[in-house]
Amino acid sequence: MKRRFLITAILALAVAVGGWAALRPDRPAALDLAEPAGGAFTLNALSGPVSLADFRGKVVLIYFGYTFCPDVCPTSLALIAQALNGLEADELAHVQAVFISVDPDRDTSEQLDRYTDYFHPGIVGVTGSEADVADVATRYGAAYRKVEGESAGGYLIDHTSMTYIVSADGSLVRTLPHGSPPPDIIAAIREYLPEST
Amino acid sequence: MKSRLLAIALASAALPVFAGGAADDIATSEVRVRAVPEGQKNSAAFMVLANGSTVDHAVVSAQSPAADVVELHTHVNDNGMMKMRRIERIDIPANGQTVLEPGGLHVMLLGLTTSLADGDEIPVTLVLEDNSLLELTAPVKKLQMMMQAHQHNNQHGGTSTSD
Repeated sequence: MKRRFLITAILALAVAVGGWAALRPDRPAALDLAEPAGGAFTLNALSGPVSLADFRGKVVLIYFGYTFCPDVCPTSLALIAQALNGLEADELAHVQAVFISVDPDRDTSEQLDRYTDYFHPGIVGVTGSEADVADVATRYGAAYRKVEGESAGGYLIDHTSMTYIVSADGSLVRTLPHGSPPPDIIAAIREYLPEST
Repeated sequence: MKSRLLAIALASAALPVFAGGAADDIATSEVRVRAVPEGQKNSAAFMVLANGSTVDHAVVSAQSPAADVVELHTHVNDNGMMKMRRIERIDIPANGQTVLEPGGLHVMLLGLTTSLADGDEIPVTLVLEDNSLLELTAPVKKLQMMMQAHQHNNQHGGTSTSD
């Protein structure tokens, strides 16, 4: 009896695994664990269009969020600000942080500018059309989704909370996990600072 | 508005706190509200809630004149996707404590009615499961300072991971 149960269990498991394997090729491409490619983008800041190419020669930190974000984004930006404050002046001159809003409907350029400046003047806030922002996010491996009805304060946005490090030649070289402490961010920046600094 | 807030803050600081019931069993520490840039609509209050009794308690809602709506929220880190969700209650186990901190449980302030600058204070009232009230005066602090002051508490792991 026990043995029959075991055989049934093994068979059931085999069917389940087989079914999963058969379904797997249908999974959307976005779930593939390919390395995000990063790359060029142009979005809008209060001062006008901002392109990644504007920062050639600098290490660029990129974070995707939104200013209505009540906790995760301010925490992340404060960590980035603390890291920037921990750099030497000549190092900081070769670093630029970019906050990309995934909420262009609510985040005006003025609001973004006030928000990023509050944390550190070395952070620029940019956004663009929904399609442009989605394109950049996908290429950097960031994800987000609008969630209605969770809070009386309007919609929320679920989002990944990584900090992307782009080297001085514009290549996406590193993805730092959510909540990375300032020393980790500083170490990652220093690893990619141009030799002369 | 500011003067009204100040009046309420002073009143709640000067008068003995009206409490009773479950609220009597709860001791609060590290109460603070996140300072936010001018024009921000939202902020959050954080604290440590210690339950010195042998009975489980829970915060079931919160109020503050500093915001249109006050909700209890938590964060879930779902495979890197940060999800903030409204919750019905924050449990404080008997002889235990619950930490409200950035990235985890928090009292969410939505539709701020006042600016929240470093050094300000706002009243926050927690409603316990028996409708007893825990009235707090929460200092507003800039997060960077909060994080430094709070680093020793990292082991509480405010951010839960579901994977």
